Amino acid sequence: MHGIPRKAPTQEELDDSSLKAAKLRDLQSQLLHFHHNKIYTEEAIQISAKLLESNPEHYTAWNYRKLAVQHLLNRHHENQLDSQSPQSILDDELILVENALKTNFKAYGAWHHRKWVLSKGHSSSDRELRLLGKFQKLDSRNFHAWNYRRFITELKKIPDEDELQYTTDMIYDNFSNYSAWHNRSMLLSKLLEKSAKGYEKRENVLSEEFEFVRNALFTDPDDQSGWFYHSWLLGQTLKREPLLISSSPPHGSNLSLSIDKPDRERTFPLILYFSEAVEGVSSSTVNVEYFYDGGDGLIWYPLSANKLGFSQAWLTYIEYPLDTLESFDVKVTIAQFPGIISSNGMPCSRSCYIYFTASVCSNNQEKSEVQTTHKISWNEENFKPHSTHPEDANLLASLCKLDIAKENNPTTPMLCMETISNEIACSRELLSSSNCKIGKLTLARLLVAHNTLITYGCMDSGTEAHYEEILALYHDLMKMDPAHIGYYEDEYSLVLMKQLTSNTESLLKLCGKYQELSSPSISSYTSVRLKVLSLSRVSCLEHLLWVQMLDLSHNKLRSIEGLEALQQLSCLKLSNNRLSSFTALEPLKMLNSLQVLDVSYNEIGAHSIDTRRYMCSSPLNSATGFGWQLKRFTDEDADLKRFWDAYLLFRDLNLVQLDIVGNAVVDERLKAFLIKLMSALKWFDGESCH
Amino acid sequence: MARENLMKGTTSQEDQWMVQNQCFRLYDIVYRLPPQAQSINFEVLRENHIEYLTDSLKQLGRNFQVLDANRPWFCYWIIQSIALLGDCVDDKLENGFIDFLSRCQDQDGGYGGGPGQMPHLATTYAAVNALITVGGQNSLSSINREKLYDFLLRMKDASGGFRMHDGGEVDVRACYTAISVASVLNILDDRLIQNVGDYIVRFTEDIHVATFYSCQTYEGGIAGEPCSEAHGGYTFCGLAAMVLINEADRLNLPGLLNWVVFRQGIEGGFQGRTNKLVDGCYSFWQGAVAAIIQRLHVMVNKQLGLPDTFELDCSTESGNESSDNDGEEVSEGSSSPVDISEPTKGESLSTSAAMGLNNGYDFIRRPTGMKPLFNSMALQQYILLCTQEEAGFRDKPGKRRDHYHTCYVLSGLSVCQHCNKRDADSPPLSRDVMGPYSNLVEPVHPLHNIVLDKYYEAYNFFARA
Repeated sequence: MHGIPRKAPTQEELDDSSLKAAKLRDLQSQLLHFHHNKIYTEEAIQISAKLLESNPEHYTAWNYRKLAVQHLLNRHHENQLDSQSPQSILDDELILVENALKTNFKAYGAWHHRKWVLSKGHSSSDRELRLLGKFQKLDSRNFHAWNYRRFITELKKIPDEDELQYTTDMIYDNFSNYSAWHNRSMLLSKLLEKSAKGYEKRENVLSEEFEFVRNALFTDPDDQSGWFYHSWLLGQTLKREPLLISSSPPHGSNLSLSIDKPDRERTFPLILYFSEAVEGVSSSTVNVEYFYDGGDGLIWYPLSANKLGFSQAWLTYIEYPLDTLESFDVKVTIAQFPGIISSNGMPCSRSCYIYFTASVCSNNQEKSEVQTTHKISWNEENFKPHSTHPEDANLLASLCKLDIAKENNPTTPMLCMETISNEIACSRELLSSSNCKIGKLTLARLLVAHNTLITYGCMDSGTEAHYEEILALYHDLMKMDPAHIGYYEDEYSLVLMKQLTSNTESLLKLCGKYQELSSPSISSYTSVRLKVLSLSRVSCLEHLLWVQMLDLSHNKLRSIEGLEALQQLSCLKLSNNRLSSFTALEPLKMLNSLQVLDVSYNEIGAHSIDTRRYMCSSPLNSATGFGWQLKRFTDEDADLKRFWDAYLLFRDLNLVQLDIVGNAVVDERLKAFLIKLMSALKWFDGESCH
Repeated sequence: MARENLMKGTTSQEDQWMVQNQCFRLYDIVYRLPPQAQSINFEVLRENHIEYLTDSLKQLGRNFQVLDANRPWFCYWIIQSIALLGDCVDDKLENGFIDFLSRCQDQDGGYGGGPGQMPHLATTYAAVNALITVGGQNSLSSINREKLYDFLLRMKDASGGFRMHDGGEVDVRACYTAISVASVLNILDDRLIQNVGDYIVRFTEDIHVATFYSCQTYEGGIAGEPCSEAHGGYTFCGLAAMVLINEADRLNLPGLLNWVVFRQGIEGGFQGRTNKLVDGCYSFWQGAVAAIIQRLHVMVNKQLGLPDTFELDCSTESGNESSDNDGEEVSEGSSSPVDISEPTKGESLSTSAAMGLNNGYDFIRRPTGMKPLFNSMALQQYILLCTQEEAGFRDKPGKRRDHYHTCYVLSGLSVCQHCNKRDADSPPLSRDVMGPYSNLVEPVHPLHNIVLDKYYEAYNFFARA
């Protein structure tokens, strides 16, 4: 605050400090003189000590000391009569460092000098640990001291177990000391990794650690340190292998294939969907057996708009023969240790399989092209939910197999499940008497972890997923901590989508058919509605791989990453979301069947710093490698420059209907541009294009 | 650990509560004032600060005996603060300044903490930055670049990192100061760069455990040396060094981002480490980390597995949302031939890149790809109301002003004011500057913490040299 007069130093203080300064300056100039002239007399060495005791930051003086020590040691070596013993020479250095640290225990030079002395083989671990004990008591967060401690531990080969005990003591002394927690995480990682005695059983060790940290959390739930350690611990507990969790066609299903197709189109897509993004899916890691082929030649594509090689969903096309009307079985096997690896480095280590039957028939029940004489209105009144017809549950069961995971997958160790359940119970108890933000977040994460472990199959059949509780927690967090609302919204979305799609009953509530007289072709589509749910992102699409018509309108979507997996999708409604650029729609380019798209009332072009435009540089500046076909546009060069991001998206889509009204970017010029670009387009913003 | 302590809190917590209450009380007092009186409190007291800084420069030496091994730092902190406030020193002071730093320059390259002292990387960094900030032919040509290059090579350690000085310690700070100096003087080459990245992201093999430990910890921030705890100052050093050697993609950037945003506390300022108190100087160390990541959007998105073009929407103020839609900016943001010509800046770069590595220049010319990643207004509020004294800036309420904090608080203020714009060179919108627009301080190059105009001057000077 201003206006509070600064207390001027008294004359006495000024005199005192200038006297000190003068003294110090004198010491310094003497030292520099000795240093430059390589004078290592006893008197000179004492002066350097005086200087360093009052100014431990004087690194030139520390170097002078090193040279002096070397000089004295050499003298001793040469058997000079008056020489000191190496012991006492080095002892002097240790004492000096200790004195210097008393003046300023954050001086780099002093700590470094001590390391130098130690590396000469002097001093004992006891002596060093005692010194450290003193300084770490004075300032338990001093990172110089912690660094020095790790140095000593390494040098003197002090067992990690002892050091772990030291962190235990430090934490008991003051559990808000995050530096101690940090060192504990380093030590525990080491011990677990080398399976030291007593640390062979990872689950047991982690379970005990949870109990340890819980004590701290209970003592004071508002202190952050324990929570951060807890979150690290949870991460360690949840390191699990990726799983194959669903497929299209689904496990155990009957697939009808059309015989009426021309030869080159006699293929059907096969999609594998994993519990997390993986790499390494190929014909050598996935074996596809069907009646005449081992699937050796199959090429697998990651269904992800990013080019990293990691994807949750993988696609291949299977060719079926011309001359058979019989049905045939397809078995897809992921062999043990096949080289499929998640982005955090965990390999798929269990063998698992899916099978389904394909039959070729002339009566084509396959998906039909959207009829284009009438537009799709997404009319609410025409929507007939499946939930009113219980028999539709059977239909749904044929579309997706909800429990593929359970047949194939490894079971979670009971102890791990117990640990998490126990942590959940304790966190709930804790929150009953406290309303802390980080506690709520931890409980939400624990409950999510619990759900994940259930997916991995658990012997304990009594366990249930806690969706409602997690959603309520994230809801609270959004209100309590609006600064991080984006994060909470994303987490909320993940859980909500999981909840809505995880079982037949809830999934059925989302399904229905549009019975629109105007376009009878879509009446055969089963449509899924995920609207007005406040979703900010999409995920958990494993049970939606069959969807042809999807309504995601009136959410808060900023990204549609993940939708790439829905290869059957023909009609997609994304209106009234927060999509802010054409490039955010990139995943749509991988949806080969997409014909009807509604992105009206989003925020495309509405942001002041529309930096997304710059992330990929304008293709006009890098003419090579872009495959530009400028022929059609030579006259409208200006338009192309202006709408190149729209061009890059829409040239790859084969839309018959597009709704884009209500975005800041839309004007007559863009409309004309898009209509010209997409020759198949029949309906634009509700009006016929022709 | 007894339950009955519940109401007492831990030591860290009691300290935290005290600071928090002091800050909130200040906010409360100001926000209860009538609007007119309120606005005065949000003003940067430019004249007072300049007077404080200029006076200190004149009597440099008095009262600073402890920092006798750090005198170039004082020069840098003061001159940088003055430059941020848009002022400069008179010719006499300027010449004295150049003369003093020349006497700190070692005959075999590098700058020491004072005349006659050994050259040291940190003081070399301070001296070089100070001389660039003074600017002009005399100042810039006083740096012996050939010798300095030799010095840097001599400080290179087998691990790939650098030593602070002959026989000194190796850490991330040394890596940064060496690389920053080399980059800004256009003497950065492959020999200097070699294995620096390995030092920062990965440590030599532990004998017992076949694991690599990195200076980047599991928390996401960067530590001073392998196995140590993540720390704001080192995180800045590590990230800036990695950007300057063009290896930032080796860091876990989403993890780093996650760590840094959670270091902004309830008072609005940043803490340096987990569960430590807020400190004004981290306005720069942590704020600049966030600002640097803003320009690494392509790498961040790549690591997140997002399409190239996804924008991390980190709008922190609801106020931002509404004004985002105003028409004037839409036309600015949307398409015009200017947009298309944007990457041509890259072309002029490639010519200059032929003369040496210019990742620092390239970096600042690149448009910002994300919105601010921290709450800029909250930090500005902390700076203006909690760290500003009638002259000079401080760590937090209850502490006394000093030159170090004055420099890094002002640098942090600059990062805040300039973080919501696309180009480094354009002025920010008035809504991004808390208080009157006259509070605006000069933009800095976030990798070097040098005022941008001065950086360009040096860049051109040393590109020719």
